[in-house]
Amino acid sequence: MWKTIKSVLAAFFGVQRESRRQEDFTTGKASSFIVVGILMGVLFVVILIVIATLAAG
Amino acid sequence: MRMRHVWMTAGTLFAGLGGHLQASDWNMPVGVTDVSREVYSLHMTIFWICVIIGVVVFGAMFYSLFRYRHSQGAKAAKFHEHTTVEVIWTALPLLILVGMAVPATATLKKMYDASDADLDVMVTGQQWRWHYSYLGEDVDFTSNLATPREQISGESEKGENYLLEVDEPLVLPVGKKVRLLLTADDVIHSWWVPELAVKQDAVPGFVNENWVRINEPGIYRGQCAELCGKDHGFMPVVVEAVEQEQFDTWLAERKAAAAQEAQGVDREWTMDELMERGEQVYGSICASCHQADGSGLPPAFPALAGNQALLDEPERHLDTVVNGVSGTAMPAFRTTLNPVEIAAVITYERNAWGNETGEVTQPADIADMLSE
Ligand SMILES: [Cu+2]
Repeated sequence: MWKTIKSVLAAFFGVQRESRRQEDFTTGKASSFIVVGILMGVLFVVILIVIATLAAG
Repeated sequence: MRMRHVWMTAGTLFAGLGGHLQASDWNMPVGVTDVSREVYSLHMTIFWICVIIGVVVFGAMFYSLFRYRHSQGAKAAKFHEHTTVEVIWTALPLLILVGMAVPATATLKKMYDASDADLDVMVTGQQWRWHYSYLGEDVDFTSNLATPREQISGESEKGENYLLEVDEPLVLPVGKKVRLLLTADDVIHSWWVPELAVKQDAVPGFVNENWVRINEPGIYRGQCAELCGKDHGFMPVVVEAVEQEQFDTWLAERKAAAAQEAQGVDREWTMDELMERGEQVYGSICASCHQADGSGLPPAFPALAGNQALLDEPERHLDTVVNGVSGTAMPAFRTTLNPVEIAAVITYERNAWGNETGEVTQPADIADMLSE
């Protein structure tokens, strides 16, 4: 789980180690990356909304 | 030691260049409001950030090209992945962008805060003029291009404020927060005055807000900044900022004039009076499309001189002026022109350039029609 989160974070940032990528593609499950990716995408938007609200208030 | 000297020289050069840019026509103006000053300093900050990035990036590139050139036996490094470098070149731009976004957002916040205004002015864009209405003051007028036609056609020398001059400027008091409510009657226009750092779209069916607090009295000129048709380049904005006292006097005069005009509605007008007034209205409102001699620009803008439909159907003529013609460039003038102006311009159109119907339209009849 933690490994999946780290890989999704790396994808957000746009930089990933080749060895980790190989690992994800051999041992990881596509569905878990998709689910964690969507959830973290939503979380990111929520964080942006909170920051914007704080800045506006 | 030598390096420090280079940096100091570069620093002096940049500072000198910065001062020079501020005064030149090549840069955006500093402007006359607190917001415009902030916008200017943001612009300069970001400009210098870009300059530094440019110098570093291109400096590194040209240095590498020269220092590690093939003829000196340089060999290319052939590595594939370097996570540290990749992280740095991703994180650095991110930090720079966030660093620029923070002050920019702070300024934007100020620009959008149109609350607690001392004065509200409704700004309406129309093809091709601006209409200003001082809300709650019963003062409103249309601001038309004042550049003489001969200058535009090249028959006479162009003036200093060529295409940036109007018959009636928007008069505003200095030191007061003025809220601008912008909209349009026909197509999208944009009210732009660089010195005030305001460029706001005027969109039909929407009301956009903006505000200014002008620090210095003066005349500030701008233009419509959204391509809006044939005379897009002929609908300038002129703002005259005056001291509060002078503004109060001006406003009182405008109110008195409006009251007098309202009285004029009730009395009987003579043909000559209507023709004189009508020629004036026609010249500032209608002539840009239908031409000063009534010859029009067919097929978009029909001729009015000798127009058989116009001569035969006075009712339809009136309806066209008051309500416009949907699907064409003819706007409705029921809100832009007052009853006296509508009556005058119709009388003029029915009796000028050989249109000799002899028919007189009275302001009182128009007022009745509009109030129905
Ligand atoms: Cu326009």
